[in-house]
Amino acid sequence: MSRHIKEIIIKYIFFLFSLVSIVVLGLIVFSLFREGLPIFGKVSVRDFIFGMEWYPTYDPPSFGIFPLIIGSLIVTFMATIIAVPLGVLAAIYISEIAPASIKEILKSVIELLAGLPSVVLGFFGMVIIAPWLQETFDLPTGLNIINASVILAMMAIPTISSISEDALYSVPREFKEASYALGATKFETIIQVIIPSAMSGISTAVMLGMARVIGETMVVLMVAGGAAAIPESIFDSVRPMPASIAAEMGEAPFRSAHYQSLFAIGIVLFFLTLTFNLIADYVSHKFRQVGSGTL
Amino acid sequence: MDSGIMKLHKVNFYYGQCRALTNISMKFVKNKVTALIGPSGCGKSTLLRLLNRMNDLISGTRVEGEILFEDKNIYAPDIDPVEIRRKIGMVFQKPNPFPKTIYNNISYGPKLTGLGTGNMDALVEQSLKQAVLWDEVKDILNKSAMNLSGGQQQRLCIARALAMKPDILLMDEPTSALDPISTAKIEELIEELKKNYTIIIVTHNMQQAARISDETAFFYIGNLVEYNKTDKIFTNPDIKQTEDYITGRFG
Repeated sequence: MSRHIKEIIIKYIFFLFSLVSIVVLGLIVFSLFREGLPIFGKVSVRDFIFGMEWYPTYDPPSFGIFPLIIGSLIVTFMATIIAVPLGVLAAIYISEIAPASIKEILKSVIELLAGLPSVVLGFFGMVIIAPWLQETFDLPTGLNIINASVILAMMAIPTISSISEDALYSVPREFKEASYALGATKFETIIQVIIPSAMSGISTAVMLGMARVIGETMVVLMVAGGAAAIPESIFDSVRPMPASIAAEMGEAPFRSAHYQSLFAIGIVLFFLTLTFNLIADYVSHKFRQVGSGTL
Repeated sequence: MDSGIMKLHKVNFYYGQCRALTNISMKFVKNKVTALIGPSGCGKSTLLRLLNRMNDLISGTRVEGEILFEDKNIYAPDIDPVEIRRKIGMVFQKPNPFPKTIYNNISYGPKLTGLGTGNMDALVEQSLKQAVLWDEVKDILNKSAMNLSGGQQQRLCIARALAMKPDILLMDEPTSALDPISTAKIEELIEELKKNYTIIIVTHNMQQAARISDETAFFYIGNLVEYNKTDKIFTNPDIKQTEDYITGRFG
C-alpha cells in the first residue's frame, strides 16, 4: 500500500515539474499582452502594423512599426537564402558522403558554431565585415541588411544543418540499398531517393532556422544599422523588431505609450515565431515518412 | 553445367579481419533457380551480395579470388559496379519500395539508364505483368507504393528489378517477411520467371528450396559444403552434414 502511495506521489511530483515550464510560458505571454495591449487604445492595430513612421519619442509620437516588420522579414529572408544551401548541403555531405573521421570533425565544428555567443558573432560583424563592406562597396555604413543577414545565416546554419542531418540519417538503409541495387550511382541515390525521403525533416529544419533568426536580438542590434525606414537596397540599414525593443526599452518610461508599444512589438514577434513553429510542426507531420516496407 | 552464367573461383571474403567466406568455387547455371541454404551466419547472404557488388557499400570489406560474369571478373579494377548492378537485379528480405508512386517505383531504374525512353508506360505495364501485380494495381499506378500490402510490395520490388531487364535476379530471403499466401504467389512467380531469368535465391525455408529450386548449395560457416541438383541434395546428399541440416538435426 505504501509503495502504491509512493508511486502516486512520484507521479505528481513529475507532473508538477513538467507543469512549471507551461506555467512560466503562460505568465510570460500574459504579461506580454497585459503590458502591450493598452497601446491599441491609443493607436489602431492597422496604424500600428502598417504605419510607416516609427517616432515613439516625438511629440506627438508616431507608432508605425511597418518598417521594423519589413526590417525583420528582410534580414530573415536573406539569411535563409544564405543559410539553407549551406546548411542543407553541409548536412548531405556529413550524412552521406564524408568519411567517418571528417564527419566527426565537421559535426563538432558546426556544434561549436551553434555555441558561439551571439554577441561575439555581432562583434565580428561590426569590426570585420562592416569595415570591409564599407570600403569595398563604398557605402556610408557597413552596418546594413547584408551584414546582418550573413551573421544571422551563421547562426541559422547549425540549426538547419543538424536537424537536416538527423532527417537524412534516418532515411532507411533499405531505400538506399534498393536504389544502388537498381544501378543508381551515389549522386543519383542522394538526389532522387535520400533527399525526397528526408524532405519533411529538411523543411522543418528550415522553418526552425528561420524562427531562430527572426527572434535573434543581439546580432541585429549590433550590425543591422538601426534605421527605422523601409530599405531600398540590401546595403541599406534596417531596424528589425528585436533590435528596437532591446535598444529602446531602457529609455522608455514605465507604462508610457512608448513602453506599451515595445511590448506590442513583442506580441507581433511572438505571433511571427509561433507561425514559423506551427508551419514547421505542420510540415513535419504532413510529410512524415510512412515507414519502409512493412507488413 | 557448361552453361554457367556466373562462376566463382576460389573466393574469400572478409569483414575487416573476420573471414566470412572461405575458398568458394562454384558456378550458377543459366535459366535455373539456384537456392543457397544453410544456418544463420553461414555466409549465404554475404555470398549473394557479392554477386552484384552490394558488399562494396559496407566499409572494411575485402574480396579475394574471381567472380566471372560474362567471362569478366566483376571485381576487376576497370569494372564499374553500377554497370554490374544494372545487369544483376536484387530483391531484398524486407520489401523496400521507395516512398514514391507505384509507377515511379518501376520507372526509377529504367530512367537512370535511358531504358524505356519514349515507351515507359509499356515498360511499366510489362514489368508489373511479369510480376503478376498488374491487375491489382493498374488503376492505382499514381498512388503511393506504401499503401500496398507486404506481399504486393514485394512483388512490386520484383517488378522494379525486372524493369531493368537484368540477366540475373538475386533474391535474399524474399518471402521471409510475408504471409503464406503471399509466399505462395511469389513462389509461383519465381517458377514463371526462370524461363527468362537466372535466379539465385537465399532461403531459410527448406521446403521452399525443395519446391522452387533446380540446384541447391548448402553452406556452413563460410564454406560451401555441398552443391548439387536439388533432388539429389534433398533425397540423397553425399555429405552427412548436409543431411543433418536438411533433416533438421541442427541449424
